[in-house]
Amino acid sequence: MRIKHSASLSLLAGLALVASACGGPAAAPSQSPTQAAATPTQAAATATAGGVAKATPGQSVKMMLLPKFLGILPFAQANKGAGDAAAELKNSTALAFVGPTADNSVQGQIEFMTNAATQGYKVVMISNNAGDQIAPAATAAQAAGVKVVAWDSPIPSAKGENLFVAQVDFNEMGKVMADMALSIMGADGGKFAILSASPDAANQNAWIKALNDALKDPKYAKVQLVDTVYGNDQSERSYTQAQALVAKYPDLKVIMAPTTVGIAAAAKAMQDGNLCSKVKISGLGLPSEMVSYTMNGCAPQFALWSFVDLGYLTYYTSYMLATGAIKGAEGEQFEAGRMGTFKITKDPTRSAGLRVLMGPFKIYDKTNVEAEAK
Amino acid sequence: MARELLRRLVSWEGLLLAILAVIVVVTGLAVPGYLNPQNQINLLELSVEKAIVVLAMTFVIVSGEIDLSIASVMGLSAVLVAWLKEQGVPLEVGIVAALLVGALCGLFNGYWVAVIGLPSLAVTLAGLIGYRGAALLLVGDRSIGGFPEWFNRLGQQPLFGPFPLALIVFAVLLVGATVLLQFSGFGRYAYVVGSSPEVARFSGVRVRRVKLAVFAMSGVVSAFAGVLLLARLGAVRGSTAEGFELDIITMVLLGGVSIFGGSGTMAGVILSILVVLNLRNGLALANATGNTQAGVIGALLILSVLVPNIVVAARSRLGRGGPAEAAVIPKLSDL
Repeated sequence: MRIKHSASLSLLAGLALVASACGGPAAAPSQSPTQAAATPTQAAATATAGGVAKATPGQSVKMMLLPKFLGILPFAQANKGAGDAAAELKNSTALAFVGPTADNSVQGQIEFMTNAATQGYKVVMISNNAGDQIAPAATAAQAAGVKVVAWDSPIPSAKGENLFVAQVDFNEMGKVMADMALSIMGADGGKFAILSASPDAANQNAWIKALNDALKDPKYAKVQLVDTVYGNDQSERSYTQAQALVAKYPDLKVIMAPTTVGIAAAAKAMQDGNLCSKVKISGLGLPSEMVSYTMNGCAPQFALWSFVDLGYLTYYTSYMLATGAIKGAEGEQFEAGRMGTFKITKDPTRSAGLRVLMGPFKIYDKTNVEAEAK
Repeated sequence: MARELLRRLVSWEGLLLAILAVIVVVTGLAVPGYLNPQNQINLLELSVEKAIVVLAMTFVIVSGEIDLSIASVMGLSAVLVAWLKEQGVPLEVGIVAALLVGALCGLFNGYWVAVIGLPSLAVTLAGLIGYRGAALLLVGDRSIGGFPEWFNRLGQQPLFGPFPLALIVFAVLLVGATVLLQFSGFGRYAYVVGSSPEVARFSGVRVRRVKLAVFAMSGVVSAFAGVLLLARLGAVRGSTAEGFELDIITMVLLGGVSIFGGSGTMAGVILSILVVLNLRNGLALANATGNTQAGVIGALLILSVLVPNIVVAARSRLGRGGPAEAAVIPKLSDL
């Protein structure tokens, strides 16, 4: 009896040791050494010139890149861009690219945000998937000295957020989607539906609202939005939601999915069901995932921006904020490496909050998708 | 037999204590900031709603049943408070209504199990789906937020010293649950019902009433935890608390409460809560992924179910145990 227990004790203790050990410094994602080359302009640039702040490379800043969840390409691309910026800025502390699983996104993001101060992070760069549920944890992190920079998806109330690095103007996004719907359906118009990510995704929610506003323009009088459904950025659920939309609205002409997971799943659902001649897919997609659907006509037109650039700009902005090169106040201008000069402004698409606007969009169709898909 | 059982339980808790000590020492040395008092509060606060439900779930499992519907009841109660607020009902009234609905959910489960005699696994699995469905029907795909400042403050700010309300509530409930399970007549009935309903009936224990009470308690405590979760998050949607039941049941079983009922102590359960939360926090601070965390906790659970049974099986093979002990090895149908 005693022997059995001491054996099981050492077994469990060993497990705990292994668990702690595998979570040690080795687990922190480190930058690839091949990205070491910094541009000469960065190395020289230190002082503020003409009201445009410049970064001071070579400082050690512990930074966390926290996507909505791990495991999809856009966020990996953002991590690559952030890694490029980290190499240019010669930050000696490796960037941590961490995140929850898709089915535990809200709780997981709150946990990462809560633990950030304890872990000694100076900046959390978050693509928020928890709506305002993240705000209490973000506010607490700020109180403990952590800067919170949102990217891709902001904190709707801006509570607990220093800055939001916006990929595109959220109102513009509404017009772009309305235009794509109209151009696919033609002058006769018709019915379309939205297949979004999760109901707490602040970016998608803002775009849907902007789309609804844009549709009030008489230009889109014949374009009718009939429903909005949510696939939670999970392929399988998005796939079935797309099928359900077609079943529910027999005369549906377009499914607009402002999420890379949703658009690919919806296009596959239409292709599998031989429905591409009837229902077209559009929205936001990655050229590499959408190329076959664009070439076969299932998804004739979609839009996106560069997630690599977004990650790069977010890292640059966050580094400068954490090192004091910028304060994160309205009207400040700063130079973000290869991407040029940016200005901090009020976010016109939210009732509160400050924004750094990246832009622009790129519209993909048969003529250019193959070149980008590589 | 009773002394044998006692010895086993004592050593199980000793084992948990040793594991906890190892986790605390190793993580304390390896992960900076882990022993920071604020971090210790954070790690409890991030899971306090689950820990509260663990207390009620202990009674359910001790009495030989299982309640899979708890997380759905948490979600339903949180959604109900938010939905009623939208309909213009004062928040205080909404909270009372949510607690009542939680009790009703529990009694409904209890009715089918205790009175009709259906297996609790099936009944509460139906509850898991049904109560979640009700929550989703109420809010659809939306997310409801915008609660009054006092409510958010209770959920998100320290109330007494560095301790938020939910932690204080947990401490009080922990003492209450320990007294009720370990030192009251009701607690003894729960053990007897769990180890043998037949014996309990012949000894004059009202088995139905005990089981009904245990399920009602599980429902109302889950609903209460759902309200606390709502206050902490400040917003809710239909899927809030989804999947929590697995974490909660894990903590109870790891605490040494037998899945077959009739044994286990509150001390073991509290140790198990601390083991799981500290381990998870240590892993999270070291940037282990969610999958790694789930894997480690899962391995702990498997060991906690296997080790006692391996011990029993080994002893019976040595010719010292009887057929009754061999039967403790779980059958697939029992899980």
